This record gives sequence, structure tokens and C-alpha cells, in this order.
Amino acid sequence: MNTFAASMDRFRFGPRQVARLGIVLGILAFFFALPPIEARAYVVPLLVGLLGAACGIWAVTRGVGRIAWGAVTVGVLGIVLGVLATRSSGTHLHIVVSWGALVASTLVWATPLTFAAIGGMFSERSGVVNIGLEGMMLSGAFFGVLGADKFNSWAMGILVAAVAGGCFALLHAFFAIQLRADQIVGGTAINFLALGVTGYFFIQVYGDVGSPGNLPRIPNVNIPGLKHVTFLGDAFGQLNLMVWLSFVLLIVAHVVMFKTPIGLRIRAVGEHPRAAETVGISVYLIRYASVTLSGVLAALGGAYLAVGFVGSFNENMTAGRGFIALAALIFGNWRPFGAFAAALLFGASTALSFRLATYSDSAAVLFQALPYVLTLIAVAGVIGRSVPPASVGRPYSKQ
Amino acid sequence: MARPPRSALESPATVAAASDTPVLELRGITKRFPGVLANDHVDLDLRRGEVHALLGENGAGKSTLMNILYGLYRPDEGEILLNGKPAEFTSPHGAIAAGIGMVHQHFMLIPVMTVAENIVLASEPRRNGVLLDTAAAERRVRELAEQFSFHIDPHARVQDITVGQQQRVEILKALYRRADILILDEPTAVLTPQEAVELFEILRRLVADGMSVIFISHKLNEVLDIADRITVLRRGRKIDTIPREGATEAGLARMMVGREVLFRVDKQATTPGGRLLQVDDLHVRDERGLETVRGVSFDVRAGEIVAIAGVDGNGQTQLIDAITGLQKPDSGHVVVAGEDLTGGSAHSFLEHGVGHIPEDRHRRGLVLEFTLAENLVLHDYAKEPYATRGFLHPKRIVEAARGLLKEFDVRGGTPETRASALSGGNQQKVVVAREVARDPKVLIAAQPTRGLDVGAIEFVHRRLVEERNEGRAVLLVSLELDEVLSLADRILVIYEGQIVGQYDPSVSEEELGIAMTGGAREAVA
Ligand SMILES: Nc1ncnc2c1ncn2[C@@H]1O[C@H](COP(=O)(O)OP(=O)(O)OP(=O)(O)O)[C@@H](O)[C@H]1O
Ligand SMILES: [Mg+2]
Repeated sequence: MNTFAASMDRFRFGPRQVARLGIVLGILAFFFALPPIEARAYVVPLLVGLLGAACGIWAVTRGVGRIAWGAVTVGVLGIVLGVLATRSSGTHLHIVVSWGALVASTLVWATPLTFAAIGGMFSERSGVVNIGLEGMMLSGAFFGVLGADKFNSWAMGILVAAVAGGCFALLHAFFAIQLRADQIVGGTAINFLALGVTGYFFIQVYGDVGSPGNLPRIPNVNIPGLKHVTFLGDAFGQLNLMVWLSFVLLIVAHVVMFKTPIGLRIRAVGEHPRAAETVGISVYLIRYASVTLSGVLAALGGAYLAVGFVGSFNENMTAGRGFIALAALIFGNWRPFGAFAAALLFGASTALSFRLATYSDSAAVLFQALPYVLTLIAVAGVIGRSVPPASVGRPYSKQ
Repeated sequence: MARPPRSALESPATVAAASDTPVLELRGITKRFPGVLANDHVDLDLRRGEVHALLGENGAGKSTLMNILYGLYRPDEGEILLNGKPAEFTSPHGAIAAGIGMVHQHFMLIPVMTVAENIVLASEPRRNGVLLDTAAAERRVRELAEQFSFHIDPHARVQDITVGQQQRVEILKALYRRADILILDEPTAVLTPQEAVELFEILRRLVADGMSVIFISHKLNEVLDIADRITVLRRGRKIDTIPREGATEAGLARMMVGREVLFRVDKQATTPGGRLLQVDDLHVRDERGLETVRGVSFDVRAGEIVAIAGVDGNGQTQLIDAITGLQKPDSGHVVVAGEDLTGGSAHSFLEHGVGHIPEDRHRRGLVLEFTLAENLVLHDYAKEPYATRGFLHPKRIVEAARGLLKEFDVRGGTPETRASALSGGNQQKVVVAREVARDPKVLIAAQPTRGLDVGAIEFVHRRLVEERNEGRAVLLVSLELDEVLSLADRILVIYEGQIVGQYDPSVSEEELGIAMTGGAREAVA
């Protein structure tokens, strides 16, 4: 009886649902102006977007926070972008917006972020800030290339990358947990260390020649049946193995974190380590394991970038993606699906920034700053604050 | 069905046979903290099926001794025997496995998690071997709670339930792990008298089943009520272990403190002056949006102590928040010394001379990572003499702190000690010292003696009466009827967010008790 009432409650069409509808409308406002529908009258996006924003405002007055403001923002954005789209020439639109390719390219850019962000989630949920993700990712990229080259197998490349990332993370864990050093300083040190180590060995091993051109790459997964389906074929027909793995990781990470005893313990340690210890959980063990795992996952993201996507290594090739992953983690409120959604958003902004160059170079650059702006908004709490684990960043000392 | 405590499974014969060997023995336990000898060769033995009370002043080393037993601290010397066999716990894990459960003085609960999650943490029921079985967890918690007639919603988040309920969650944690030795570190400090009585019922049942209990409390009447034997610690040393028979409150107090303790404060009659605090038709909501203060009006005059008595969770917390500026009321007025401060910030209330001893010293009273000196100037750090033109004078701050720590008899710390290193009762004294020392016009004291020993309670009570005699308005919000009756000049009873009666301090405890549970809707005065 009770559960029935509860489940009914869940499907009730309340203010939250209206706010969600508002977000959908806002997206549609833009969507209608794009191929294949391509409405050319500016009233179409204007009306649909206004409706979406109105839904949001109504929900705001009903006390819905984050989602409602999201609906207002998306509604207004939908109007602006939609109206802009109706003004621009049809050929330009078709170059920028070919949906299938755009989705595929979004996934390509989102994947390294997803790996690193989910890695970061494990570390931070256990209470250790990990801004060393960047360095761990970079080490994964280099050692992935090294392993794939020396063993002549991409699988070994992934393995070597994972081990390297794990080692860097273990170092971070030792400083943060055992020595109770400041975690931000420790993480920064890891980043510089990784930059130095990968740079040194890169020159040592490959000299001026650069990494070999015939590197065994992580293969793409060709789905034969999908090839000729218009949208799906372009979007999902030829994705890299690691992209699919990131989907698997996403689900596994969610289950582990929120549906298993291990996850409960990790979260307990990140919230209130002393309480966790009093029920017999080893705070150090959980934190060591979580931080190490975060390094392994971040390194997998790096390995995908180098061995899967680019097919070579060059110095500092991650170029700040570890930090963006951290931003995705925060934007996604320390949850796997949230982080993934943020990674997709950031991936899409990267993908778009390449194509937007058709319109204007400066707009393209501006687009690349989007992840940071959005993250600032998320942590500042304008649209409902991201709440970190209560004890994140605080060293724990046993007596 | 939830499984009963492990010991209940044994036959009565084994229980009887085993009752000669102590289930637990501590021998020569010594623990040093930097600058403090917290335990000095302490011996203690616990018999099967007994309630063994541990008494001692604030900072006497009770919690430390129990934390050692529970594996949280390592002793510097001494040994622990379980059923006659040496045991060594390097972490609580070992202690739990050996059947020891502990309810800590400061709750060890994770606010954002549910009651069920908190209880099953680290020994979770599983589905398919790997998944957390939330449904089973909630079912088992519900069964366990019913078995002991606790009213608790396993699905509620800990941050949303009252302290009294949190206390039960802590006890359920130990029962769920099937402890047969239960350590309760000041379990009644946050309970109402009724809740304490219920807790004792539960303890009696557990003990009848063969459980052994170590019970720490500063309330001597409780100790005489429930304990079979009583051990007294003073400054880290064991003074004696005595049977309950023949023990008296006065005798125990003398053993603890080393001098005679007065249980009632002398209070001369005063004529109250002008109204310093006026509260007019106040309505306040809690964080879930429920209106928990529903039209409260009263005033406190200079030179009187007005007590608000009531069962926990009847709107006291929100009322205090609203009259200290920690929360904005929905409607109504709060007037301090003639000035309407309704909806003002906590800072403006402080500036207008409102002092506040908050009920939760960890969340609101102290910055645990700060030193005692820093905690003591938390309000006035930016003013003379502690600062000039934006620069602090660390020396003056430390000197002032040294004086206060001495005056308020805070033990176990210097001005440079971090607040987290103090014993619970001494932390409370630091809060009281800060609030009283800044000479407020209106002093709002919520549970000011929570966790204090008899000597310290006497001291704080005397201070509150002195404050009153010097013409300050004191508002006392307390769950302790004793405290209310011995301090107040006027007693207001709060029930479901409304003042349901005003009484003279000559009222009987019974009459107050009835009013507090909603028995008297009309003012009697
Ligand atoms: N972690 C710590 N670091 C340093 N000193 C400590 C620590 N814990 C306790 N102490 C000191 O050890 C002494 C004993 O403290 P303990 O908490 O055992 O007292 P208690 O008897 O439980 O007092 P109360 O009734 O106030 O809770 C105190 O002087 C305290 O300051
Ligand atoms: Mg204590």
C-alpha cells in the first residue's frame, strides 16, 4: 500500500516535472531551427523558447530550485540560438549541424573526460581531493603509447597506462593520507611530476622522431547493421572500443557507488571518517583504494586519447583535460550520471568549437571556455549548489 | 525476526556459571596525551549481566578509557581481558567482532545518510552477494526498533530527526551488531526525562538477557537508579568501585569532585526591571517548511530567569534560532532592549547584547579546529582590546583566554590547545565562558549544562543566577526539569510550538510534566 502511494507520488506531474518540460521545450526551440526541420521563421523558436522559460519561471515560484532555473536558462538560450539559426545561411547550418557526426564527435571528446571524472568521483567521495587527475591522465597517455609500442599490442598499452596512473595516484594517496599533506598542493605536485616524467621519457625513448606511426591502436567497434541508418550510423556505427567501455564504466560506477556496500562505505568515509571508523571501517584502506582507482581510471582516459584517438603522444597532450574532468565531476554533483552529462556537455562544446570556426574563430574560442563558466555557476550555487562530500580535503588522523 | 542479542541464545545455566569471571577486565590502563595524563593505571572489571556505572568529573578520563576499550585509542600501558583471555584491539573492528558495542558521547552518525544506512554500515545485508539490500536493511531496522519499541523511521535521513531519535539510532547500531557488552557514554545527556526512563527499561531488558553494560553519566540519580556497581574516576585515576547499595548522591559527588557539592543554588528574590527581551506572536518554520513555532509571545525582564520547559522537538530549536538571528521568522517580532531586531542577522543580535549558549556545542558553539583562545574571541576578535585597526593582538587574546579558562575551571587545555582535544564537558565550559564573559544584556542559554559534571553544573548555575542578580535577562531553554525548577523565576511550557502555560517555580514536577506532554492547554499561572 505504502510503496504504491510512494510510486504514485513519484510520477505525479508536479512543479519539478513542469521544469523538466521547460528544459525540453528550450532545447526544442533551438532544435526546430536546425536541420532537418529547419524552420526559417523566427517566431517558431521564439514561441517555443518562451513557453519553456515560462514553465521554468512557474516552477521557480513553486520553490523548485536548480531544475527550474535550468529551464529558464535553456529556454532563453534556445530562443537566442534558435533565432540566430533562422538568420544564418542554410549551407552554413548544414556544415555545422550534421547531427550524426556531431554526436560521434561529442562522444569522442567526452570519453577521456568521463573516465577521469568518474575516477575523480571515487577519490573525492572517499574524502581526498584529486586535482592530480590531469597528471594521471597524462601519464596514462604516455605509458599507454609506450606499452602499446614496446609490446606491440594496444591491450598491453592500456594495461601499462593503468599501472602508471595507479602508481602516480598511490603517490598522491601516500602524501594525502599517510603524511596528511595538503591535498591541493600534493595534487599540483603530481601534475608537474607527471609532466616532467612523461616529457623526459618521451625524449629519452623517442628522441626527435616522435612516437612511431605504426602504433597498434585501440580498435573501433564497427556495427555492420547500423552503417546505413542515417543518424544512428553516423553517431554510433564506428565508435572506439573505449567509448563503449566508458558507457559500461558509467553504469558500473553508479551501481558500485550507490547500490553496493562498498559504495556506502566509500561515501561514509568521505562524509564522516570518524563515524566510519567507529563501525569498523578502515578509513585509510578505503581512501588508498579509492584514490588508486581514480588514478587508474584517469590513466585509461589518457590512454584512450593517445592510443585510441590520436595514435601518438606529444608533450602535455592532455592540455588541461584533467581539470575539465574535475569540473565535470563538480558540475555533475559528484555523481556518475551527472558527471557523464557534464562531460557530454563539455565534449559537445569542444566538438562544436571546431565546427563553429565556419562562422567565426573568436566564437569558437569562446565556446571552449564554456566548461569553466558552467562550473563556476554550478559551484557558486546560482542554480542550486553542488554539494561536495562533507570531509573532502580533510586529512584524517587516527589517535 | 531480528535476532536477539547473542548472549540471549545461551542457556540460563551457562550465564549463571559464567557470572563469576568478569566478562571484561581492564588492568593498569594508562594513556597519555601531550601534556595530559588521561588515564593513570586504571583497573575496571565488568560482570556478566550488570550495569556498571562510570563516574567522574569532566576530563576525568572516562571517554578516553572507553575509547581504548573500543579500539579507537591505543593504551600506553595496561591490558584488556575478555572472558579472562587477553585481548588487543587495534581498531574498532576487533572490538565489534568481540561483541563490544559503543554509543559515543558525540554521535557518530552520518547526517546525509538514512537511519537504516547508518545502522547497517559496515555489516550490510546483501542481495546476490554484492548488492546492498536496502529493503532488507530497512526491514531489519524496523524489526529491531519494534522489538525495543523505538519509534523510528528507517528511511528518514539522520539530519532530519531529533537528537533523541539519533540517540536511539546509535543504540540500534550496537544492538544490530549483536553486542553483548554495551558501552554508553553519556547516553542520557540529550534525552528528556521520559526518554531516559524508556532507555532504562530497555537496558533492564538487555541486562536480563545477559548483556553487560558500562554506563557513563553525570546524573547521579540515574546512576543510583540503574547501576549495580559504580566506579569513580578523578583526574585519570580510579578512586574506588562501590556497590549501589548504600551509595548516596552526596557521597558520590564528594568522591568525584573531592569536596561537598551543593545541589541547589541559593537564590534571593529580586524585583525584575524593564523588559529586555520581547517576543511577539512569533511564527517560524523548520528547514522542511513545517511551522514549528506557532505564535509564541513572552518577555523576559532585567533581573529574572525565565525558563522554557518542554519535551525535545516542540519548536525550541527554531524559537532559539529566531531570537538569536540564526533564522528569519515568518512573522512576529523580536525586540531586544527596546529595539526591533526581527529578521536581523546573528551579528546584529550579538551587537545588541544577545548572548547565546547553543544547544549543540559541536555544530554551533565551537570551531573544533581552532584553539581555545580563538574560540573564546569568536565574537569580539575584531574589537578592542583584541584588535586595533584591523590587526589582531594575539598576546592579548591568549592572556584573556588564560584568565577565562581559569575562571571557568576548564581542564585539560591551555589557550593554545585545539578545542577538539578537550573532553566534552570542558568544551561546554568554554562556550559558557565566552558567552557569559561578554556581558550580554540578554543571555539565551539552551541546555547550558548538557554534559557537565555535578561540580561544573553547580558552577554554571551559580553564574546564571549571578548574571540575573546583576540585572541581565536570562532565558533558559532546558529539557531538565530539575534545572528549570531550581533556576527559574518563571516557567513557560512549550508544546507543539505554542506556549501552553506559565508556572511559578513552586509548581510540582508532575504538573509540569503533564503540561509538557500537552495535558494543559490553558495558562494556569
Ligand atoms: N584527542 C585528544 N588529544 C589530546 N588530549 C585529549 C584528547 N582526548 C582527550 N584528551 C584529554 O584527556 C583528558 C580526558 O578526557 P576524556 O574525554 O576522557 O574526559 P571525560 O571523562 O570523558 O570527560 P567528560 O565528562 O567531559 O566527557 C582531558 O583532559 C582531555 O583534554
Ligand atoms: Mg567524555
